[in-house]
Amino acid sequence: MPLDTSSYSLALLRVDGRRWNELRRINAQIRTQAAADGSSYLEMGHTKVMCVVTGPSEPFGPARVGRTGAGAGATAGASGGEAGVVVSIVVAGFSSVDRKRRGRGDKRIQELQSTISSALAASLHTHLFPHSTISISLHVLSQDGSLLAALINAATLACVDAGIPMTDYVAACTAGSTSTYAANDESADPLLDLNHQEEQELPGLTVATLGDSDRVAVLVCESRVQVSRLEGMLAVGVDGCKQVRAILDRVVRDKGRKMVQEGTVQKGVGLEDMEVD
Amino acid sequence: MPITIIAPKPAQQRYAAPQDSPDASDSEEGDDLSEGGADLEGDISMGHRPAKKARTDGKYEIVTPGEVITDDPQWMRGHGTYVSPAATSIISSVAGTVTRTNKLLSVRPLRARYTPEVGDLVVGRIVEVQAKRWRVDVGSTQLASLPLSAINLPGGILRRRTDTDELQIRTFFAEGDLLVAEVQQLYQDGGAVLHTRSLKYGKLRNGIFVAVSGMGGGGGVVRSRRQVWTLDAANGGGQIDIVLGVNGYVWISKHVEPVLAEDQKTTPTTAGPITNAPTTTGITNLEESVSATMYSSQNDRIEVETMREIARLRGVITALVENGLRVDEDMVMKGYHEAVEMALTYGEGGQDDVYLGGERGEQLAAVLRGR
Repeated sequence: MPLDTSSYSLALLRVDGRRWNELRRINAQIRTQAAADGSSYLEMGHTKVMCVVTGPSEPFGPARVGRTGAGAGATAGASGGEAGVVVSIVVAGFSSVDRKRRGRGDKRIQELQSTISSALAASLHTHLFPHSTISISLHVLSQDGSLLAALINAATLACVDAGIPMTDYVAACTAGSTSTYAANDESADPLLDLNHQEEQELPGLTVATLGDSDRVAVLVCESRVQVSRLEGMLAVGVDGCKQVRAILDRVVRDKGRKMVQEGTVQKGVGLEDMEVD
Repeated sequence: MPITIIAPKPAQQRYAAPQDSPDASDSEEGDDLSEGGADLEGDISMGHRPAKKARTDGKYEIVTPGEVITDDPQWMRGHGTYVSPAATSIISSVAGTVTRTNKLLSVRPLRARYTPEVGDLVVGRIVEVQAKRWRVDVGSTQLASLPLSAINLPGGILRRRTDTDELQIRTFFAEGDLLVAEVQQLYQDGGAVLHTRSLKYGKLRNGIFVAVSGMGGGGGVVRSRRQVWTLDAANGGGQIDIVLGVNGYVWISKHVEPVLAEDQKTTPTTAGPITNAPTTTGITNLEESVSATMYSSQNDRIEVETMREIARLRGVITALVENGLRVDEDMVMKGYHEAVEMALTYGEGGQDDVYLGGERGEQLAAVLRGR
């Protein structure tokens, strides 16, 4: 179904009623699975993903042989001095409109796995956990565009929940442009957070940044786009990442405050009464 | 054609955010959305003593990864923090609460894996047998190792290990065996070395294993004065041992009197040879008599009453964890007595009075909180 891009110029509203710089509704939870080391659930619009983190732990038994090879994960696991980050993604058959069977060796999934693995490995303090593996298992429950961004955000939240030290949140979102590559429209506006329909029709990129800084951790662009539009798209994307980070941070804070109030964790020292003795 | 755009409603919260004072949380929401939480820098800088904070719920405040804790160079960074290469400011690397020891700032995470410390009492499971040592899962980031030389070898005196021992290493511990041990030593990279050279430690049997979260953070077992104790169970359950491993692994078992004690009871004055001896000099003999049963994997006979009380204790511990209460001797004992009383009220049917999940668990936790 071709996207009716002409309506955008009339009201400056996108197919789902958002303006160019609006994110979809993001709803997230952490600690969704009591038995896991860390877990999260994240919705970006209708894209819904679930994440479970196990580790850092030393792999043992037959798994050790399988994992350090090229097998299950994206990066090789426990390699000497620092922890390996192994990502596995399962896309549910019912997650998109057409029911596609995706095998283990699906190249798209493998690329997503290696992207997430390397992005998180750069932010997590893996040198603190020699000989161990952090395994991140992601489940896609529903797809509506910006899948990679949602997966990265969910994985970040789950790692925070697992208490794995990291430099900062890795927050991701997508950016696009209002007209197709073929239209070659000089006045095209950048768009924030593409949904599935927009992702099919319009050029787009996924960008992830490290915390509040402008340091880009992931930049994936799979479509043709004029280079003159790229700068605008990237700027909008980076700005969106900051908004996403604020939302993720709020989720963690709410949960943390709740835990302190319930007495599950001890209160911290009030920072104002922290004089030196 | 005029079009009015109605601002979308904010996303609904799945769970009610705790709001003890509505104005504080409102103002914070504004801050967070505009600046993504970085505004806390102002609150925390400790160089100049800040005026009384406007935020009322400050004591519930946590720090999150990437948040600057202080940029005053007088502080030293501890666990859960890092220093950015460019600046001298100390930045949090986990989500948790700030703790201070003199000038050392560290962040205690909301939840993390157990980190071993020398002297910790841990319960572990053998996962691998190597030539001269076992690898033990203690719920840490790495497997702990238990050298053959660090266990009580059978056969009397504290002897050195021999090649024969190496060959029959599986007769002491095999894969899947549970044991209680003490952390003897830590490697530079955080790996732990265990030892069981005491009669308090060794192989576990006659009971059940419960895994809760340990000292890493976020409730669960806390380090306390006593991690191992024996209690007299209600309803004719006899005596029950509880081992609370600091790593969050718990062992609940039927209490079995040490063999030595029985010997002394049965033959108090028979005045045998001097080697069959009073307690003061009996350390070597004690080894000898105990060693036979020490590495047995065979359970003793356990009465149904004891099993029920063990199951009840397990229920108490899981209820404590599920409701975010700490697990230590005090809480477990109070919880157990409460559970026994609750069972009396439920108990006409007599069948499922052991079950402590769901509502009953919450009820139990509520009573314990009230105390």
